[in-house]
Amino acid sequence: MKLYLYGIIDSSSMIPEPICGLEASSVYNIPYCDIGAVVSEINQPVQAVSKRLVLEHEAVTEKLMEKFTVLPFRLLTILDGRENVLSMMGDYYGDFRGNLDGLRGKVEFGIKVIWPADKVKSRIIDACGTKNRNAHLLDDSVERRFVREKFEEHKIDRALREKADGYIHAMDVFLGKFAAAKRLETLRTENLLLSAVYLVTKDNQDNFREAFEHIRTARKDFKYLFSGPWPPYHFVTLRRKSQPRRNSGQTAIFDKVILQPTLVEADRT
Amino acid sequence: MDNIGLKSGDVTLVEILDRVLDKGVIIAGDIVISVADVDLIYLGLKVLLSSVETMEHLRGAPFPSPMQEAT
Repeated sequence: MKLYLYGIIDSSSMIPEPICGLEASSVYNIPYCDIGAVVSEINQPVQAVSKRLVLEHEAVTEKLMEKFTVLPFRLLTILDGRENVLSMMGDYYGDFRGNLDGLRGKVEFGIKVIWPADKVKSRIIDACGTKNRNAHLLDDSVERRFVREKFEEHKIDRALREKADGYIHAMDVFLGKFAAAKRLETLRTENLLLSAVYLVTKDNQDNFREAFEHIRTARKDFKYLFSGPWPPYHFVTLRRKSQPRRNSGQTAIFDKVILQPTLVEADRT
Repeated sequence: MDNIGLKSGDVTLVEILDRVLDKGVIIAGDIVISVADVDLIYLGLKVLLSSVETMEHLRGAPFPSPMQEAT
């Protein structure tokens, strides 16, 4: 029997309310010590990742989040039978326990900020242009002009990043007051000023939202995407390295995956 | 978001995908298996499917060759 895993919860008890999982199957908890793996049975092959599949997976995880601390699993984590689930729980128990303790009562919020990079850059170029208006008179050799142009490009990029860092720092100081942890990424693309996730205690959710609204009001020329509360997808960290197992009901193709660790690792970046 | 041209449902889906495909507990490489008859699909998912975020990370950087260690 294949079991589809949704997440690990901080309870070994039965799930108090019925939850409908993939293929309309019942979701239940497999206890291990004081934690549990939430699963449902899966009989039909998963033909493709569909919008419905993604939403059903997420719906179960969010339903669990209402009652428990959840370590959400990645989509399409399927194990072969209860014994393998228990074995996996035994292997990872320390990690799961530690993560559950650290994430108890916390949820994740996502924030993306888009800024008018072209306008900011234009202003920087204008400023550089004013300073260097007569630079071409200094030397007009091709080589020197090339080096000078490259240096100008570098200065513009650096100035753009400094501006971005300044804006992000101002926002993060404000939001960070209400966050227990955070992951920030600056300028993933030129227009995406900030892509951030914040871990916030449930008690602080309203304060965090309010802080964000202040930022939105203060910088109306930026565009924002605020999402959450999510299960803490970005804040689960397993210390235990996955290791290949033998004689545990793995399919042949899984052995092929093990033989190509580079591909598996590349997927985890 | 204004002027993005996406419905809020689409944005939500993208945000979910960003998480469920790339984050959370990953025990792949250990005892995760695929359902019978869809092994190749599942392998394809593991190797090829990625969230927007991962693709952005990889963009501009060459994929490591099969003989190279991933960084």
